[in-house]
Amino acid sequence: MLGEFEYLLLTAAARLGDEAYGAAIRREVEEATVRRCSIGALYTTLDRLETKGLLKTWMGDATPQRGGRPKRMVRVTAKGVQAATAFYNAVMLVSRGVPWEAERVAIQP
Amino acid sequence: MTHFCWWLVDLLSRMLEPGERDAVRGDLAESGLSGGQALRDVLGLVVRRQVALWQGWQPWLALGGLVIPLGVLLTLVSRRTADENAVYLWLYANNWTWTYITSAGFRAELFGNGAGIVISWIALMCWSWSGGLLLGYLSRRTTWSNAAFLSFGLLLGALVHPPPFIESLFLPHHHRFGADPNGAVFAVTFYRVIFPLIVQYVLVLLPLLLGMRQGLRTAVLPFSLRTILWTSAIASLASLVTQNSLWWQIRTWQAYHLRLPRLPSLHLVAAAGPIGYMILTAIFRWSRGRTTAMTADPSLKENS
Repeated sequence: MLGEFEYLLLTAAARLGDEAYGAAIRREVEEATVRRCSIGALYTTLDRLETKGLLKTWMGDATPQRGGRPKRMVRVTAKGVQAATAFYNAVMLVSRGVPWEAERVAIQP
Repeated sequence: MTHFCWWLVDLLSRMLEPGERDAVRGDLAESGLSGGQALRDVLGLVVRRQVALWQGWQPWLALGGLVIPLGVLLTLVSRRTADENAVYLWLYANNWTWTYITSAGFRAELFGNGAGIVISWIALMCWSWSGGLLLGYLSRRTTWSNAAFLSFGLLLGALVHPPPFIESLFLPHHHRFGADPNGAVFAVTFYRVIFPLIVQYVLVLLPLLLGMRQGLRTAVLPFSLRTILWTSAIASLASLVTQNSLWWQIRTWQAYHLRLPRLPSLHLVAAAGPIGYMILTAIFRWSRGRTTAMTADPSLKENS
């Protein structure tokens, strides 16, 4: 079973699709959790997920905004989708009828 | 302060793999973080990466088999060198008068003692450089961690009193009964604490780090230079182990009833090897730079 932070990274990468890379994933996670996401935690978790075969990374193109430095692109694999789905289903199942479930429904767009 | 933080970020990020270094620096540039926040982030990543490297057995083998013995040996030998040099420096500093220079005997003695001090310093630097070269080559990924261990070890060696057994092996002039004839020298804080620290950090740690840096780059050298490099490094380290009192102590103990030979002095080999290698490397780089410039600009070749 995935860890909480691993699930957050996989989900952020899946949402971003082709635009998923280190800094973008970090922004997504920080917006969702309203907490700072350290680069150390981000990259070590990306490595761990890649070792487990849940995502693939590669060096992308450099951009002037990044001082001419390349991005570390991320793509979730099929195995990663399965793992994230399992985690999501487990959280949804165990959260049925809890007091904060109504609050989750209230904040949906 | 911000510029200093970013300078530290650049320095720390060199401890990362090249690909990750570029990605992280790019992420930091894109995120618009302050220098302090960027420093905290990079430091966190570097620490995590270094800790992850130590989860295997190879770094621990290198630590126990090479880093610690080399660190202990260099610490004790440099401490002994510093203490011996301190006595002469104290004598000359406290008894100096320019009229001594008029005496031929004094000049000869001054030259002899000065040459002895310089040779001991050169040997110490060459031993340290050779040790660093070996460490940098054998433990590439944990080079920075090992450098930190050695720095701490040297500081500890300068500040902490060694155990009596070690003291009798390497620092026999500390292990005396009765009044120490050199007590006046080591009563001065400079000769007792500061001078050994200067010797250890300038003559040991600095060459050690330069040697480590060279050890990381040995793979790109041509075969002939690599052969000279390793021959000089091995001879240098052999002289470090055998030309100090440890070898003499083992012979006199006869603890294992071994007939150990009297070894010729390897100090010249210790000094000549690394110095010769550095000169040859400089010549090689100069000639390669010249060849590259000629290839880029054929007019240089016609004029040469």
